[in-house]
Amino acid sequence: MTKRNTVHATFVIERDYAHAPSKVFDAFANPQSKVKWFGGPDEWEKSNHKLDFRIGGKESVSGGPPGGTVHAYNAAYWDIVPNERIVTSYQMHLDKQRISVSLATMEFKANGAGTTFVLTEQGAFLDGYDDAGGREHGTRELLNNLETFLKA
Amino acid sequence: MTTTTHASFIIERRYEASPQRVFAAWADPAAKRAWFVEGEGWDIQSYQLDFREGGSERSTFRFLKGEEQFGEETVFGNESAFDEIVANERIIFTYAMDRNGARFSVSLATVEFKAAETGTRLIFTEHAAFFDGADGVNMREQGWQELLQKLGEHLAREI
Repeated sequence: MTKRNTVHATFVIERDYAHAPSKVFDAFANPQSKVKWFGGPDEWEKSNHKLDFRIGGKESVSGGPPGGTVHAYNAAYWDIVPNERIVTSYQMHLDKQRISVSLATMEFKANGAGTTFVLTEQGAFLDGYDDAGGREHGTRELLNNLETFLKA
Repeated sequence: MTTTTHASFIIERRYEASPQRVFAAWADPAAKRAWFVEGEGWDIQSYQLDFREGGSERSTFRFLKGEEQFGEETVFGNESAFDEIVANERIIFTYAMDRNGARFSVSLATVEFKAAETGTRLIFTEHAAFFDGADGVNMREQGWQELLQKLGEHLAREI
């Protein structure tokens, strides 16, 4: 038997954006928008980003440093309420190794003219390859990218 | 506005059966149906299990006390997708629950099977998002306590 271990963790990130919920939501829903901010560092080689944004639809993208480990993201969309909520289940792989399965909820709440955005990730981190601290750090960087995209 | 509440719970059980046998009760469609789907108070309308990574499990069942409890005929739907299957060791699946077509929760469930001295220690961990005032985590945890009890009774019958 290989040694399996599963570590469960939850983290919540809240951000305030100056833009209306419909604009922030569109950055997740519109494939031409999402590809601009959702992915690894600029210097990474990346696959095509594929997004079928509907309940039951899938999303995938992978990338990594040239010649290095490929980080692959595969998600399924389980709930969508336009301009209000998105729920995905997603897996991360490093090369062929599955390192996590997570439930991610994104909530978009009107706050004056802007949006309070709340991301809740409830994850199962597998066999010691990743942990919630690293995942939260990476997710915060993605949300920084989102903010830059929204301001552009 | 929609509302969402998040919660997690863990249930641990010991079964007097090997990890292979306990795992098989999740993997085999007839066995799984016997403890997971069939039950008093429910009229099973459909059930299908495609137990492989990327496969799905779907069931619809009418709650016989629907009119009494919800004031209308009530059909629940359960849709699962298997994210990871490691034979005899771990199953990870995502599942949604619908009531009369309206989704009220999405969950990530992990089932771990660990060999114990005289059987198996099963650890069930669920992370859940409940929508718009759905019943929430206490009822869900109670539901899984009952299911895992039924799993134990199923394993005892099999011997």
